[in-house]
Amino acid sequence: MDDLEKAILISFDESGAVSSVLKEQAVAFIQQIKETPSICSICVEKLCFSELVQVHFWCLQCLHGGLRIKYSSMTPEEKTFIRKSVFSLACCEPVHASNSNSVRILEGPAFIKNKLAQVVVTLIYFEYPLIWPSVFVDFLTNLSKGAVVIDMFCRVLNVLDDELISLDYPRSGDDVTLSGRIKDAMRGQCVPQIVGAWYDIVSMYRNSNPELCSTVLDSMRRYISWIDIGLIANDAFTMLLFELMLVDGLLDQLRAAAAGVVLAVVSKRMDYKSKLALLQSLQIRRVFRLVAGDSNSELVSSVASLLTGYATELLECSKRLNSEAGKGVSLELLNEVLPSVFYVMQNCEVDSALGILQFLSVYVSTMKSLPGLTETQLLHVGQILEVIRAQIQFDPMYRSNLDSLDKIGREEEDRMVEFRKDVFVLLCNIGRVAPNLTQIFIRNSLASAVSSSEDRNAEEVEASLSLFYALGESLTDDAVRTGSGLLGELVPMLLSTTFPCHSNRLVALVYLDTITRYVKFVSENTQYIPMALCAFLDERGVHHPNVNVSRRASYLFMRVVKLLKAKLVPYIETILQSLQDTVVQFTKMGSASKELPGTEDGTHVFEAIGLLIGMEDVPPEKQSDYLSALLTPLCQQVEVALLNAKSRNPEETLAQIENIQQMITAINALSKGFSERLATASRPGIGLMFKKTLDILLQVLVMFPKIQPLRCKVTSFIHRMVDTLGNSVFPYLPKALGELLGESEPKELVGFLVLLNQLICKFGTGVGEILEAIYPVIASRAFNILPRSDIQSGPGGCPEEIRELLELQRTFLIFLHVMATHELSSIFLSPRSSGYLDLMMQLLLYACCNHKDITIRKACVQIFIRLIRDWFPDHGKEKVPGFRSFIIEAFAMNCCLYSVLDKSFEFRDANTVVLFGEIVLAQKVMYEKFGNDFLLNFVSKGFPNVHCPQDLAEQYCQKLQGNDLKALKSFYQSLIEKLRPQQNGSLVFR
Amino acid sequence: MALPNQQTVEYPSFKLVIVGDGGTGKTTFVKRHLTGEFEKKYEPTIGVEVHPLDFFTNCGKIRFYCWDTAGQEKFGGLRDDTSNIHGQCAIIMFDVTARLTYKNVPTWHRDLCRVCENIPIVLCGNKVDVKNRQVKAKQVTFHRKKNLQYYEISAKSNYNFEKPFLYLARKLAGDPNLHFVESPALAPPEVQIDLAAQQQHEAELAAAASQPLPDDDDEAFD
Repeated sequence: MDDLEKAILISFDESGAVSSVLKEQAVAFIQQIKETPSICSICVEKLCFSELVQVHFWCLQCLHGGLRIKYSSMTPEEKTFIRKSVFSLACCEPVHASNSNSVRILEGPAFIKNKLAQVVVTLIYFEYPLIWPSVFVDFLTNLSKGAVVIDMFCRVLNVLDDELISLDYPRSGDDVTLSGRIKDAMRGQCVPQIVGAWYDIVSMYRNSNPELCSTVLDSMRRYISWIDIGLIANDAFTMLLFELMLVDGLLDQLRAAAAGVVLAVVSKRMDYKSKLALLQSLQIRRVFRLVAGDSNSELVSSVASLLTGYATELLECSKRLNSEAGKGVSLELLNEVLPSVFYVMQNCEVDSALGILQFLSVYVSTMKSLPGLTETQLLHVGQILEVIRAQIQFDPMYRSNLDSLDKIGREEEDRMVEFRKDVFVLLCNIGRVAPNLTQIFIRNSLASAVSSSEDRNAEEVEASLSLFYALGESLTDDAVRTGSGLLGELVPMLLSTTFPCHSNRLVALVYLDTITRYVKFVSENTQYIPMALCAFLDERGVHHPNVNVSRRASYLFMRVVKLLKAKLVPYIETILQSLQDTVVQFTKMGSASKELPGTEDGTHVFEAIGLLIGMEDVPPEKQSDYLSALLTPLCQQVEVALLNAKSRNPEETLAQIENIQQMITAINALSKGFSERLATASRPGIGLMFKKTLDILLQVLVMFPKIQPLRCKVTSFIHRMVDTLGNSVFPYLPKALGELLGESEPKELVGFLVLLNQLICKFGTGVGEILEAIYPVIASRAFNILPRSDIQSGPGGCPEEIRELLELQRTFLIFLHVMATHELSSIFLSPRSSGYLDLMMQLLLYACCNHKDITIRKACVQIFIRLIRDWFPDHGKEKVPGFRSFIIEAFAMNCCLYSVLDKSFEFRDANTVVLFGEIVLAQKVMYEKFGNDFLLNFVSKGFPNVHCPQDLAEQYCQKLQGNDLKALKSFYQSLIEKLRPQQNGSLVFR
Repeated sequence: MALPNQQTVEYPSFKLVIVGDGGTGKTTFVKRHLTGEFEKKYEPTIGVEVHPLDFFTNCGKIRFYCWDTAGQEKFGGLRDDTSNIHGQCAIIMFDVTARLTYKNVPTWHRDLCRVCENIPIVLCGNKVDVKNRQVKAKQVTFHRKKNLQYYEISAKSNYNFEKPFLYLARKLAGDPNLHFVESPALAPPEVQIDLAAQQQHEAELAAAASQPLPDDDDEAFD
């Protein structure tokens, strides 16, 4: 072993026995050798005489890289030397008279032979057909040497396809041209001989070396799409291929490879008339029986793909051929193959089912345009439904996993949800082309599922219900309401059913989802209301033993109540009674659930009840009884917690907090059903109850200051009360806002600003006084937290703190916008606030030019427009000293001119166009208010800066002075677009 | 299989190669596994980091030596496939927010298969936490043609982190029912796949009120 070989061995070491220092030395040494001029001959030498696989690989890698990079600079002698040596290796010829190592290379591991094939193909890339026209022909004469050379030839063909021909990989235009040249040359020169060789090899070796034959067929399959199809689709070759598929006892792999070739033949692109003739001539029915074998075998899955491909092509023929005869033959052949396709789908693994599913979708969609279905088609559709039902069933072996929703169960459920997506699209399409058949099918499956044996019934019921649920997607509202077809029978049947397996989580969930989807039928057929209520309120729903189900039930029940509420008045008493225990359970101390966070926390029961008892149809006395019966215990819980707040240890306090949170969530949910009209005008007593509640909940802020989750909950409740109590919430605001303002973390401030925005939007100048008092505090907080310059989000990610700052900035700007647009801009000028004016202007100016969100930029421009209008009365004196020059100098230049000149200002973006409109309007307003002061500065100082020609500047003045805002806008846009190319990066504004 | 100074282990271990375009998140992905991150070794000579990742199955512990060949994309047209030799299983990674990385998947697959024939391979679409997806789940079809397993993952949020390893473990063990009995220690998620639906729900009302009022935008598109 010489130094190079040693170095290569060291560099390839994966055993861990070599130190990294030594390895680095070895690599450096190898690298040095790679640079020597004689590297190619060193490689060939080593390939001939070394025994080491690692050395072979390295040498071939070196040759491959050398050719790829340095081919054009090599001498003709060098090229000839490499070509000859490499070809000798590939054909098992001695490179030097004195050695026989070629055999060793071809008998080495696959990755060596593949590397060698890559080298040969690189030569083909540079030299075929001009310099080395005989490469394929030369190879063919060597095939008689036996299996090793044939195998090598196949590898070369495969790599040729991968690297140069196949359309599966992205290729440059040049490479596509080159591939065309190679294909043309091969077609003219050697394709028939190559095909002949394939035929001879397979005929000769089918019994003695079936692996080799499958290798040959696999590489042949790749070539069918671009060679003369007559070479393969002829009697001799077809007979051979079908024989291979059909002879029992042959190697599975070989039979599968033969099926792969036939599939390639079937899929070859050609005109549909010839295609049909080809398909007909194959007599594919011969292989139908093969799919009945072991569904996991390579042969079955390969034949399955063949049949699916065959059916897909026939379907295409039946659509494309115009002649009746052509259509007829296609459909006849299709009907012949379909039962096998269904069989495959029913029995095979899910993976191959996807391809079939695609075919079936196309098949069903061709029926959409038909006036009616033939009996055969109906039969097929029925079979497809059977297939679907079989495919979407869970395996009973996962029953307990799915029921307890452990890790395995969750995985299985995810998998099924994903798989069902495609299947249900197909189901809906079938539901459209054959509605009656589909509904009968679902009814029958439900019936048979119920009566099936216990070890399968849960899965069958679940599948049948899921079908019914999914079908709903394709039905119109009208169809559901009126109960068209069998729905009028199916929905009541479902409502009145309790399945023996109803305790099963999945069954119970899909049951509830299904009746919710079809509940519109109940709203039209009110006699079924009691049944529907039972389904939600008994142990199928809210009282289901599985907490996942009961919580989902309370959510769905709330949705149903929303829809049906007007019709539920007579049942309120009953409903409340049924929910009594659930409500009591919820209000019990310490029932706050930790294991089930998320939106379905059970409080939807309260929302449902609120919706029911908040209706005006409920008599006043009853209404206040109901409400107080619910509110009182909830409030009491909170009060008790408040009383004990001081005397608890930290652990208990935590429990208290969770408990209070839960109570407030319930109160919030409950209050959603009560409108402002009811609580303030028609039934003030109700309003009073909520006011008392508000009193108590505001105490929470006092007793538990700085507890983020509680703050959130109380804030939500104030939001609710603004809606429910309207003006009468005013007396509470000073205290509420005062408490909430006590905190100044970005997140809390955002929540607070959002509340203020709601108040301003609802009451406008009504909250002016309050705002006047608190604006200075808010401004001071905000400007303390927000950085003066841009908020850097850094590359790659956006840490939470930065996100919070961005969110605060955004909310604060919206808050300023809401104030300005609700006639509250004078607050900015009040004595205590005016100190922040400067900072505010800086922020607005920066944001209106630079903010990433275009809608925020628009809002900022709108603020400026309002301020200009508010602060410069038509007659009278300027309210804010310095503001005028700030607008003319800073705002007009930076925002109205420089920011729009930037290339990032994209006129094709709709939001940007709206922003541009505001910017143009701002110029108009500035001209109205400041006249020539603005115009002269803008045109005589700003325009020259951006190299604006005089004539355009003059036109601008005319347009601005005119009355047509639209014309101004379109002129200004064209002006900006003309000016952009002049900037040449001279604007360093950004 | 191990690298210098790296402990070899008694339990079954497999060489796993991770390939894919640069920036698809291969390194981030393997680094989520904390013990692997702790024990990893860098092999400067071949530009490979090898992370030993242990998983606990119902049949005992197994180890994947993950060969993360970062920077290999820099070789341009010439990829060095040396480190793929003896790979026993593989992950091909692309980035669902960058279409080109998916387009290059076939090439990665081809190059991989040339060196390691017939090994189990998982295709992973990473960064599904990002809102602005460019490759939709429906558009991912390559795995069907080549019989690979496909998973959508989000390395940053740990979403589906274990799935690829579980699939490979099952294939390598020849046991479709093999499962992990214990979760490996993962770095805490940096992002949440679904930002607290709960809060969203509560902020519903508030958000509506906080939006600027609609403008007179009827001229916007003329």
